[in-house]
Amino acid sequence: MVLELRKGAIFVDELRNISIKIGEVAEEEEEWAPMGPTPFPQIETLRNWDFTLLKRYKPSYAPYCDMCCLCTMGKCDLTENKRGACGIDLMTQTARIVDIAVAIGTSCHTGHGRHMLHDIEHITGKKLEEIPVDLGPEISEVAPVTQLITGIKPKTLADLEKALKYVEEQIVQVVSAIHTGQEGSYLDYESKAFHLAMMDALGKEIADISQICAFNLPKGESNQPLIEVGMGTLDRRKAIVLVIGHHAPPAFNIADYIENNKLSDEVDLAGICCTSHDVSRYWPMSKIAGSLGRQLKVVRSGLPEIIVIDEQCIRADILYHAGKLGIPVLCTNAKAMHGLPDMTKKDPKEVIKYLLDGNPGAVVLDPLKIGEIAVEVARARRKKRGEIKPVLTEEQFMSYVKACTQCGNCTIACPQKIRIGEAMDAAEKGNRKILEEKWDVCITCGRCEQVCPKKIPIIDVFNYAAWNRIINEKGKVRRGRGPIRDSEIRKVGAPIVLGTIPGVIALVGCSNYPNGTKDAYTIMNEFASRNYIVVTSGCMAMDSGLYRDEEGNTIYEKYRDDFDGGCVANLGSCISNSHIYGAAIKVARIFAMRNIRANFEEIADYILNRLGACGVAWGAYSQKAAAIATAVNRFGIPVVVGPHGSKYRRAFLGLPYREEDWMVYDVRSGQKVRVEPAPQNLFVAAETVEEAIPLIAKLCFRPNDTDKGRAIKLTHYIDLSLKYLGRMPDDWHLYVRTETDLPLAKREELLKELEEKHGWKIDWSRKKIVEGPIRPYHAGFNPTCVERLFREGFSSLAKK
Amino acid sequence: MPRTIEQPFDAANIPGPKMATLLERGKPVALAVKRAKHPLLIVGPDITPPMVERVKKFAEKGVTVVATGNAIRRLTSAGINARYAVLHELAQFLVDPNWKGFDGKGNYDVVLMMGNLYYHGSQVLAAIKNFAPHIRAISIDRYYHPNAALSFGNLWRKEEDYLALLDEIIAEL
Repeated sequence: MVLELRKGAIFVDELRNISIKIGEVAEEEEEWAPMGPTPFPQIETLRNWDFTLLKRYKPSYAPYCDMCCLCTMGKCDLTENKRGACGIDLMTQTARIVDIAVAIGTSCHTGHGRHMLHDIEHITGKKLEEIPVDLGPEISEVAPVTQLITGIKPKTLADLEKALKYVEEQIVQVVSAIHTGQEGSYLDYESKAFHLAMMDALGKEIADISQICAFNLPKGESNQPLIEVGMGTLDRRKAIVLVIGHHAPPAFNIADYIENNKLSDEVDLAGICCTSHDVSRYWPMSKIAGSLGRQLKVVRSGLPEIIVIDEQCIRADILYHAGKLGIPVLCTNAKAMHGLPDMTKKDPKEVIKYLLDGNPGAVVLDPLKIGEIAVEVARARRKKRGEIKPVLTEEQFMSYVKACTQCGNCTIACPQKIRIGEAMDAAEKGNRKILEEKWDVCITCGRCEQVCPKKIPIIDVFNYAAWNRIINEKGKVRRGRGPIRDSEIRKVGAPIVLGTIPGVIALVGCSNYPNGTKDAYTIMNEFASRNYIVVTSGCMAMDSGLYRDEEGNTIYEKYRDDFDGGCVANLGSCISNSHIYGAAIKVARIFAMRNIRANFEEIADYILNRLGACGVAWGAYSQKAAAIATAVNRFGIPVVVGPHGSKYRRAFLGLPYREEDWMVYDVRSGQKVRVEPAPQNLFVAAETVEEAIPLIAKLCFRPNDTDKGRAIKLTHYIDLSLKYLGRMPDDWHLYVRTETDLPLAKREELLKELEEKHGWKIDWSRKKIVEGPIRPYHAGFNPTCVERLFREGFSSLAKK
Repeated sequence: MPRTIEQPFDAANIPGPKMATLLERGKPVALAVKRAKHPLLIVGPDITPPMVERVKKFAEKGVTVVATGNAIRRLTSAGINARYAVLHELAQFLVDPNWKGFDGKGNYDVVLMMGNLYYHGSQVLAAIKNFAPHIRAISIDRYYHPNAALSFGNLWRKEEDYLALLDEIIAEL
């Protein structure tokens, strides 16, 4: 029962035997902006926006499996789009599998967020309502994703928890729609994937802002300290504690223990994956051993004395590999306990003894106990070891490469198709270079070892051949800075929207690269050097720091870490990439004065038509990456993935030749206008890095570009095509609306090509285009894809 | 029932009941191309110089060649007048029966593929197999591609045998 009491006085006479309980005191939220049309959207709320996107960016399905085996009526053969026993066809089933992947990814980030809130209360001893959401004086829009989706502008972490409960409910609702006998339309499955993925963006923002505010991580400040990255930075004289995963509070406790006990001369704390980013945001003395693709390289190198795992991206066979070298594994998170005994309630000293007695590992779920256990086990183990050398001896290495029978099983098992046998053969003949080079291309999945008839420990063979590379792999990464400051948006908002900063390139995600880690550096360097804004997070942020230019500088030493043209800003871990969506939202809020409160559709439409941004997940491998990319897409931002990304089974690819797909409403003229295919795709896999780079540049075109901005973008698109593919792009002319769109230095040459190759009419006396473009250019062009906005107008906060 | 007697080059790449018929001769490919109204050869970046030489001969025989990835540089250097496409985009165009093709003459009915990154090429073949009934996809690569309608076997360590098969096709065109 709800009793609503309004203004006035309440008198209760002779109050006896009545107990009054006050649950939550519902405070009316400050009216920080007018409430938009879609607070706490449900599955169906943004379906129209999704269908607008899906009409233009049609799902392209490439099934990984032509069957369905999810219920007992199957297995069903769905080949050639047949329907199974439940009635589902292959296209819809593939969309359903995408939903499952996105649901897993979203649950991962959201579960991480929930765990973060629990740990924050446990570690700080404070209630969530006691911890303010305070990101410093330069950030007023503290949680743009939360504000946009829910309408809440959080003041404390308790407000974020309200948003988190909403996310958890939405996940349950969408996952229920994946059950047999529910959804029957692939388009609706895609809409649900978008909805889930938007929840993923929200879950990530909640998780990251919570840890920033509770543990005082960087709040968007530039000029962050440089963090050491690479296997060579691990000090082999010290006891190395290796943390793997994404949920950093246990690693924070390790850092505290080292610091409080002044053990940094004796103990090194290094990490794999996002935990290493986040612990460095807490304690910059920690090191980043490497990205996901380095996981087994580090474990099997024998460098760590103990492995501490938390959650996500941990090898399922971590105990097997660690056990080969007798390295104990400490599990700190209930999501990954690996069958080990739960010793959470034991005295840390008892756990230390247990691990030093040669047991494979233990579960300890209290982050406040992890530091002592991990560090003391590592110290005790290190004292018993002498100089740390490669796991194999020279004799063992040679005997293994000689043992290879060239059967080819390893290559057939290898996801990268590395010719391991040929490299072994070359090593036997004295050339170890191939093994060393392929060491970096290898993602260390370990499939090769399982099929080798001679039981060759191929990972150890690779590590031995690459030992010099390993011990000299010493790079730098700028510490993850977290959110983008409002002041930065004020500076770059106009140049981004007008196109004079040619784009925002966001390099995120994992390390399942097609050809090694250097691509991450190459892509970042190319775009930063051309005055694009480059932001990064996760594994790509780490891998790009492994390389140096001719002057010996890493990419992070070469470029500042502002959110500005010609900069490279590492935002932090995967959950920190929520600040990339946040930056896009803030451009709409701060530069364009749009109301971002509970107003997703309008802001996504703004981003799609005006904000030249492109996500790049060159090594995407996980379900989390699927969720991240899908969310980016719902925000109207395209994503380029590496060739492994086509295994996600679904892309969003426009058909530039279908005129009806490229219509927008022009608010200025009141007309429906055909625009150029800008951006042409929302999700596309490139086959090689040489192909990806011009493609990324192309996906930064937006209908709203000014002519000056378009000329800059066109310059880069043409330049990059010439540089990497040796040719003019076939479609460059589609992006020309007027002669002033053409780069000034090449204007005459390009006009000539438009006339001769494409049949355009040119008035040479004035050097003007008379006929040819898809549409003319008008500086006041004001596009929207949403009919409602065209009819009702945009929601502006500008003072009239 | 599948008539495959070859292991996919990716051991676990078993898509389902329908897998490519293994081709041990080049002649059936030549026949398919000759019977086709509008054939297309897709060439990816995983190619050797002798393969480039053969691609040139395909082009000389009038087959439209499209390079994907960064293969375009090598084909252009070899004097081949190839078109260029992003393979993923091309797959979407091929699935659309209304696409007018590179020459405006309509979509293609026989698509040959070689040199694409194995796993990426396999996904594109899966899209064609399942959603482009108007296209017959034939892998003439060095690897067995189960998602094609017809595919050469795993010849990645038998270069001479592989090139001989390509030569057999070219000779019959």
